[in-house]
Amino acid sequence: MKKHSKLFYSQLGLTLLAGAFLVVPVIQSVLAGVTTNYIAGLKSGLTLRWIVEVWDLYSDTIFRSILIGLTCLAINLAAGVPAAYVMAKKKNRLTRVLEELLVVPLAIPGLAIALAILIIYGQYTAFRRSWMIILAGHVIFTLPFMIRSVIAVISSMNMSELEEGASSLGAGFWARFFQIVVPNAMPGILAGSLMVFTLSIGEFNLTWMLHTPLTKTIPVGLADSYASMRLEIGSAYTIIFFFMIIPLLLGMQWIAKPRKIHPNEPAEIKKVDMNTKTPYATVKSRKEKPGELKKKSGTSIQIHGCAKTFLDGTRALESIDLAVEAGQTVVILGPSGCGKTTTLRIIAGLENPDKGGSIYFGEDDVTDIPIEKRNVGMVFQSYALFPNMDVSDNIVYGLKIRGDSHEKRRRRLDEMLSMMQIEDLRHRHIDQLSGGQKQRVALARAIAVRPRVLLLDEPLTALDARLRDSLRVEIDMLLKSIGITAVYVTHDQAEAMALGDKIVVMDHGRIAQIGTPRKIYFEPINRFVAEFIGTVNCLAGRLEDDYLIFPGGRILIRDLSDLKFGDKKSDVEVHFRPEHAVVVEPGQGHFKMKVVSSFFMGDRTRLIVNGDTPAPLKIEAHGRQSFTKGQTIDIKLDLQSLFTINE
Amino acid sequence: MQRQNRIYLFVIILPALIIFVSFFILPMARLALETLQGPQGVGVYLTMLTTGRYLETLFYTVALSLGVTLVTLIISGICGVFLQRNNFFGKNILIAMLTLPLAFPGVVVGFMIILLVGRQGLVGSISQAVMGEKLVFAYSMTGLFLGYLYFSIPRVITTVMAAAEKIDVNLEEAARSLGASTWAITKDILIPALTPGLISSGAICFATSMGAFGTAFTLATDIDVLPIVIYTEFTLSANIAMASALSILLGLITWGSLILARSAAGETIAASG
Repeated sequence: MKKHSKLFYSQLGLTLLAGAFLVVPVIQSVLAGVTTNYIAGLKSGLTLRWIVEVWDLYSDTIFRSILIGLTCLAINLAAGVPAAYVMAKKKNRLTRVLEELLVVPLAIPGLAIALAILIIYGQYTAFRRSWMIILAGHVIFTLPFMIRSVIAVISSMNMSELEEGASSLGAGFWARFFQIVVPNAMPGILAGSLMVFTLSIGEFNLTWMLHTPLTKTIPVGLADSYASMRLEIGSAYTIIFFFMIIPLLLGMQWIAKPRKIHPNEPAEIKKVDMNTKTPYATVKSRKEKPGELKKKSGTSIQIHGCAKTFLDGTRALESIDLAVEAGQTVVILGPSGCGKTTTLRIIAGLENPDKGGSIYFGEDDVTDIPIEKRNVGMVFQSYALFPNMDVSDNIVYGLKIRGDSHEKRRRRLDEMLSMMQIEDLRHRHIDQLSGGQKQRVALARAIAVRPRVLLLDEPLTALDARLRDSLRVEIDMLLKSIGITAVYVTHDQAEAMALGDKIVVMDHGRIAQIGTPRKIYFEPINRFVAEFIGTVNCLAGRLEDDYLIFPGGRILIRDLSDLKFGDKKSDVEVHFRPEHAVVVEPGQGHFKMKVVSSFFMGDRTRLIVNGDTPAPLKIEAHGRQSFTKGQTIDIKLDLQSLFTINE
Repeated sequence: MQRQNRIYLFVIILPALIIFVSFFILPMARLALETLQGPQGVGVYLTMLTTGRYLETLFYTVALSLGVTLVTLIISGICGVFLQRNNFFGKNILIAMLTLPLAFPGVVVGFMIILLVGRQGLVGSISQAVMGEKLVFAYSMTGLFLGYLYFSIPRVITTVMAAAEKIDVNLEEAARSLGASTWAITKDILIPALTPGLISSGAICFATSMGAFGTAFTLATDIDVLPIVIYTEFTLSANIAMASALSILLGLITWGSLILARSAAGETIAASG
């Protein structure tokens, strides 16, 4: 039970006083407008005659205000919304200056702006005498509000990714604007519209200077009535004004409240998500119905001499060449900033390579073909699902753009829903989907258009570890069963090895190595690849007689027959991975090391050991044995798995 | 296709650009030029800054605006924080009452003041009954002050409530765990956290008061504020050059205070009313 302090009550008192200060005269004016005689008070009785009289006197003013307000709104929608889109999309110095300039009319008193308009246009009598000159002032005053409101909404969502998603499905400029941008900017457009209309109805500073006796608006009429009419008429007119403005104000407050679309019960979501019992591979076993995707292999992809320098000078990609066979899944792997996403976007057509680069899909040169016409399927890192459409509309969007009939779209939708095991999600809203579900919808949408090539930009990065593991398997089976050519970008080497027929390791804008997962893992071409693809241990020693001697022990050289040391006799390095060293009984190993720390991970124990090597070694132990710090252990190496790096 | 996209983008922003240039940029440029077209030429600026009448008006307008800003910040600051942090029966109604006048034009505000403290106002009737003397404030500086307060309080309260909501509760809890009293928390955590919001809304309040026309117009006081003087110079004296020069002065002052507001708060805000 909260007991309120003295401080609370005094603050409450102040607040109530302020509230009364603001509200009491409003109540007074409402009462005055319906009282027969204000001075006599309520005793004189209530009447509607003042309101009727106001209507007779001022109804044309009221209609004119509404006309100006609606026209002002129409102009704001037609000119302001597109302008806001351009300014939100292209954030460069020019648009920033424009944004600043647009707000200036709000900083300058309306009186001054009206004066300026009169000085320059007052001579055009027809214009000066019409309501249009008032409209001009209102538009200048309200445009910044509409534009700012729409820019705020567009900037708060990843509109550019949604647009890229739509482009990848074939949507051109106008289709994107009206089907994606405008519907998703609707909250901003609505809020802006209400604000524009409200401001126009109540505008006085500008209007007073620009009006004539024949072009009065409500606030002008109010000023008139306060000055020259009896109090009851002024009050009655004010009542009509309140009647118009208060619903608008409430509307604006209601729109401003964030509204949540209620997500479904967690149990329900789990059920659909963890359905890995019957994975995508079942597509193969079904009888092929007419119109269904036959096992096609997609096209091959070839990139020749593609480099990319961005406008700000960043060299994202050095000239690279890459070939992907039809039906193959190639994974581009590398750390952030290595150029893998840029490469993918060049294949997609979202970026153009620097002059001299070319891209071929099969026999076709697609270098100059924009993404809308390239017929690629793209899955984005944050899925880019259109929030203004439900799952079904998202999936068939590309088909709609291509002009497929309703019947064809429905059939393809059914195929996709069953292929991805998301039949229950047919009418769901995008906000109601979990991460794993969104990923499936994104895949369905990309595949629905039967693309030549499927491009995936880190599709699993946003998901938790367990989901990633299970979805990795499903994607792999899906890609194999459809037989499509796929290029997959990731920074996770486990993912790359699981999914790729071929892995392309990239570093600082260059290709470091191309090869199968096994080749990359067991025969890395340089230190970067070796260390990126997994943990590497390094033993440095010298060659003497028949032995490779290193701190802690030695190995017979003839046991290392497949290693090439070149001409070097000292500072020879061999490398091995943690799983290729085992802990053995004393005397049975190649060398001894001291345990620095041990981590029990469940399926294995990770040991950090030291023994005069330049860096501590990381090895693994299996079984139940536990280790203590400082303990000396014997280690035996799997000699077949040692490798050298010849840089 | 990229070039085509760029062309489309330019085409759709064109209408807004044309409207803006035709009805704002060109007129304002012409206004600036007009100041030099009068009988005194450039000297009009000197006259403006040395004539007693204009200086007096400027002084009154600035003093009024500053006073209103100060009082509003204090009242709205206390009420805003109080409302944001406490829950009680009728709170939402109280908030609605306090934010209602946001959409009122200056003329209506003037009328509200007349109803409260005018010749037939509520305060007058009450004071008549209680003290035998009818108190009438509406047509003096006090009335103007109350009017400006009327449209300023709602604006600043909404900003303060929004700023108070963003204050990290953890900061106060940390202070309490270290033994700070309520006053110490208010002084060391609350007020510093609110200060950017207070500065920005204070600057907006100042700018709005400087440029307010409708309220002063309705109250028709003897004391003229700058917007009224501009109006009379233009309509009654046909002294277009002086009216333009005064407008530019007023515009510069309000624009300057809004730039201050933005640098304190980091967003663009409007002065209307």
